[in-house]
Amino acid sequence: MGGDHAGRMPVARRSDTFVYLTLALVLLAALVASACLGAFTFTPARIASYLAQGAGWTPMREADTLGRSVFFQLRLPRVLLAALSGAVLGVSGTLMQGLFRNPIVEPGLAGTSAGAALGAALIFVLGGSTGALAFSAPLGVFAVPVLAFAGAFAATILVYRISSSFGKVNVFTLLLAGIAVNAVCGAGTGFLSYVARDPQARNIVFWSLGTFTTADWRGVALVGVCFAACFAISIGYAKPLNALMLGEDEAAYLGSDPRRLIARLLVVNTIMVAATTAMVGVIAFVGLVVPHALRMMRSSSYAFLLPASALLGATMMVVVDIVAREVIPPAELPIGIITAVIGAPVFLWILLRDQRSGSSGYYG
Amino acid sequence: MVERHGVERPGTEKRGVELRDVSFRAGGALILDRVSVRFEPGKLNVILGPNGAGKSTLLRIATGLAHATSGDVRYDGEPIAGLASEPLARRRAVLSQHVELAFALPEADVVLMGRYPHYGRVPTGYDLEIVNRALELVGMEDKRDQPYPTLSGGEQQKVHLARVLAQIWSDASAPGSAQAQRFLFLDEPTSGLDVHYQLHILKVVRGLLSPGCTVIAVLHDLNMAFEYGDHFVLLERGTVAVNTSDPRAIPAEVLERVFRVRARHLQTQGEDTGLWRFEL
Repeated sequence: MGGDHAGRMPVARRSDTFVYLTLALVLLAALVASACLGAFTFTPARIASYLAQGAGWTPMREADTLGRSVFFQLRLPRVLLAALSGAVLGVSGTLMQGLFRNPIVEPGLAGTSAGAALGAALIFVLGGSTGALAFSAPLGVFAVPVLAFAGAFAATILVYRISSSFGKVNVFTLLLAGIAVNAVCGAGTGFLSYVARDPQARNIVFWSLGTFTTADWRGVALVGVCFAACFAISIGYAKPLNALMLGEDEAAYLGSDPRRLIARLLVVNTIMVAATTAMVGVIAFVGLVVPHALRMMRSSSYAFLLPASALLGATMMVVVDIVAREVIPPAELPIGIITAVIGAPVFLWILLRDQRSGSSGYYG
Repeated sequence: MVERHGVERPGTEKRGVELRDVSFRAGGALILDRVSVRFEPGKLNVILGPNGAGKSTLLRIATGLAHATSGDVRYDGEPIAGLASEPLARRRAVLSQHVELAFALPEADVVLMGRYPHYGRVPTGYDLEIVNRALELVGMEDKRDQPYPTLSGGEQQKVHLARVLAQIWSDASAPGSAQAQRFLFLDEPTSGLDVHYQLHILKVVRGLLSPGCTVIAVLHDLNMAFEYGDHFVLLERGTVAVNTSDPRAIPAEVLERVFRVRARHLQTQGEDTGLWRFEL
């Protein structure tokens, strides 16, 4: 936490580049490993050859059509979707912690993901019935993300309104509101999946614990576009997010408009979480663990946390996905089981530490 | 009673912070009732008053954070209502009494926040230089990399003082508007601090006084205020009870009425020390 670089300049970002490079290399290694491992095992050389063929640099080899189609239709979209989802959840945890001014908030705990799941499940499940069809038809392919956004936004605003008063956020109210909203949304999603006819929508595990088994290029495109846009917007707000750490009044004294900042970033955050949840289900704790590790490793400055949490979030999710595939083959573990095993102890540890240091209750 | 706030001085100096007929109403209650005061640059202006007299509200309105129900606030004769918040933040800084920060940010990063209104994405060398000098000015340069939450309460307040100093830093080598007037507000800057830190912070603040800087502080300790302050505005239930530069001109009866205590001057060997002793 700063003591590692004796005599560094204030806010020295000179070695941030080094951290980004390291994180990027680790992510690359995880991506390659994830692309190689699985029911079909590919060597890195074979992957390189597929990619070259896919890009048209080398002619297609007829002998290996099956391997190539497994790689391009199943493996590659899955690896990319895992990375993008992890990046979204990592950045979302960072953003929400900044907006709530509290290090234990993340989309899974604050109800954002559960609200998105409920919205998405509505379309998946009722999409076939005439009433819902009439409603969703004008929205077309965007019906699922749009409803996921509506659900996620309603849940987030509800939790934010309940837990904050006079510019301060109460941790306990926040956690309780999150539990209540998660329970209501979870019950709604559970009911919908119970009445659903579509086998995927019936999969309650998908909605509550998340999975990448259904990954396809449509999901990669949707999550990728949402992530790129939302990340680009968020990164421009690093300074006011830092100022907001001091509280709304101090941020205003420093020349920013905290109300507008919170409103805008809540929308941005909700868009990318909703798109991700609609594609991969609810995955908790990534948004908690990733920013926390980075805060410990280096700094709480959002100029650093936002890009770093995208890289580390992607890495964590890709690794978790490898574990999910390799633990009990040929079956797969739901992603949320693994993230909870990693994340819940971290969560408890933060709570305990804050309680001991007496800083629990109010942050602001 | 010394009632000077009503005296009109047309055509004189417009420098400093001026409140004109400022009233503020919240939930039907009149918190401030047509307050008109002028705070001049180069002086430590002190706002005094009991709890609930409207000091904090007055400060929030004077800093531009809250808007008066009627009346207006002017810096150097210019109404601040029309100013955008970032240009305003380059000239006006506020030190609050308790700033909580739950995240482990290095001290120097907190001070750099004072430079946020001045730079775009990346701080310039000049911004970093100011951070260093502000930290030196408050005597906290040795702990620049230490995480903020590990500092003591007094040290944390010094860091915030350095932050607001960095925000309105001015010197001859400054690029651009070095000669612009600056405005510093301090909201009970010494509350909760031990006497060493209290005196240290007031000493640093006094060292800043210059014709280019208007300093306005809300203080609770009357004796300390009268010792360090230059000009005094005493608020009583949303109105100005006293507005004077001479603390000895404030009669004991006024302090007794406003603060609901008994007040007398301390004497040493028959000589008036200027210090007040209060009793219930």
